[in-house]
Amino acid sequence: MPQHLKRLIGVFVIFILFFLVMRQVLRPKSFGELGHFRADAIYENTLRPMHYAVADSCTKCHKDIRSDKDLGFHAKLKCEVCHGPALKHATFANKFKNKQLPDSLVLYKPGERKDCAVCHQRNAARIKITFDTINTTMIHQVDIMKHHPVDPKTNAALKCIDCHNPHQP
Amino acid sequence: MEDHLQNLYEVLSKVDGYVYPNEIELNWSILIVLYPYITGLVAGAFILASLERIFKVKILKPTYGIALLTAFSFMLVATMPLVSHLGKPQRAYEIMITPHSSSAMAIFGFVYLWYLMVVLFLELWFDYRRDMVIWANETTGFKRFMYKVLSLGTTDISPKAVALDDKIGYIITVIGVPSAFLLHGYVGFIFGSIKANPWWSTVLMPVIFLFSAMVSGIALVMLVYIVLTKIRKQLIDMDCLDTIAKYLFYILLIDFALEGLDQIHRIYVAEESFEALHKLVFGKLFYSLFIFQGLLGTIVPILTLGTLQFYKPRPVIRKTIYTILGGLVLMGIFFMRWNVVIGGQLFSKSFYGYTSFKTSLIGIEGYGMAIIWLIVPFLILSFLLWLLPPWKKIETSHD
Repeated sequence: MPQHLKRLIGVFVIFILFFLVMRQVLRPKSFGELGHFRADAIYENTLRPMHYAVADSCTKCHKDIRSDKDLGFHAKLKCEVCHGPALKHATFANKFKNKQLPDSLVLYKPGERKDCAVCHQRNAARIKITFDTINTTMIHQVDIMKHHPVDPKTNAALKCIDCHNPHQP
Repeated sequence: MEDHLQNLYEVLSKVDGYVYPNEIELNWSILIVLYPYITGLVAGAFILASLERIFKVKILKPTYGIALLTAFSFMLVATMPLVSHLGKPQRAYEIMITPHSSSAMAIFGFVYLWYLMVVLFLELWFDYRRDMVIWANETTGFKRFMYKVLSLGTTDISPKAVALDDKIGYIITVIGVPSAFLLHGYVGFIFGSIKANPWWSTVLMPVIFLFSAMVSGIALVMLVYIVLTKIRKQLIDMDCLDTIAKYLFYILLIDFALEGLDQIHRIYVAEESFEALHKLVFGKLFYSLFIFQGLLGTIVPILTLGTLQFYKPRPVIRKTIYTILGGLVLMGIFFMRWNVVIGGQLFSKSFYGYTSFKTSLIGIEGYGMAIIWLIVPFLILSFLLWLLPPWKKIETSHD
């Protein structure tokens, strides 16, 4: 075989060997253990801090609200959907009975028009709802700006919760 | 108005009719338009080179080296639009480390490397080895160093060794032609195999991509050849230029027929998506499809090139016409990629609505970035033409 072909093949062999070595070095350790992904990714995800409690943990202390809620359209809505992640609150709030809660344990109390609009603002992409087909799985659609317009002079507007009880709307 | 509602209204102002929430923003932007465009230029330029090498179209000899170097320069940049689009260049190597044979996209690294290293690099190497050995002795400094390194320090330029180089080069080109077909067919395959998108999902897609690739590659090499002879103040070989234009005409005709076939098939079958696509084509894609791609990029070049097959004006006029047509064809193929990539994302898969595409000049996904990735291959090409000038090579007949 001529000299130049030997050198060329040599270069390619070195290139392929380098690739194979780098592949071993760079391939994540746990790759392929459970499938075509890095198995450690699952373990690493379990190490991430938790933020959400579950609905039952709220009911332990807030029985009255739970029974209110069970009677209305929001019965199936979990508390944390509106009030935000509550694991810290659920774990530590009972240690502050009759005392002021520290800020880190106070949950969000949504009361503005925008909070209700997240779900209830009319949106063409949501299922249209008519009164004869209403059921608890459908979200009532309201054009909030028309439903209660903002006063152009004072810029004041009624809040939704002025008329509707958010726990039993 | 409250901020929340203001945002919602702003988002919805981009949208006509009903679209699913994940269809409002286009995920594949101008950089993804550029990727099939650049790979198409590579495949097309290589196929033009192979006409001389395998199909013995000797008249194309002056463009053989230019076509190969053009293909190589653009191939080096082909992945860059993807890397910039994904925005994590430090993770780009992972596609090679953990490939997945069941995903067309995940196998791209190997398709690319095969074409770059086994086809283009080796063909150039065997083609230039003897010249690099000679040039290494004639030059000094950086050039000499480059020739020494690139020729791997070999010195054997006996007729026997050169004949062997030529033979191997021929075999590589024979392998290279189906590889070029595969490379660009593969890019079309990625779009054609997306069943959920009726604008993309057609088995003709790889073939259409391939022929449009050949069209754009031939037009690019033609332009590079014209510009290069102008810069070098040489007399252009009009027979060669006429022959390139003739091939451009033939391939453009086939490409036009194939795309027409695809559209006629859509119209005839008139699937449930037809009405939505009809509105798309006559609405948001009207200028890019009918004017830029259809009229200026295809019909005008076909008619002009067709006329030039029978009527031959003076060489200066022909050269000017070829230059203008080359530019038009390149623009037309760019808009063909645009219409496929952007067009396929403009309509809702519910077939009830459309979104719009806006991008800015600045930014990782902007026009500026796209222009950079179109300029870089020309810089690489200039460097390669300086280092490995095809016109200084010793004539070999490639027989």
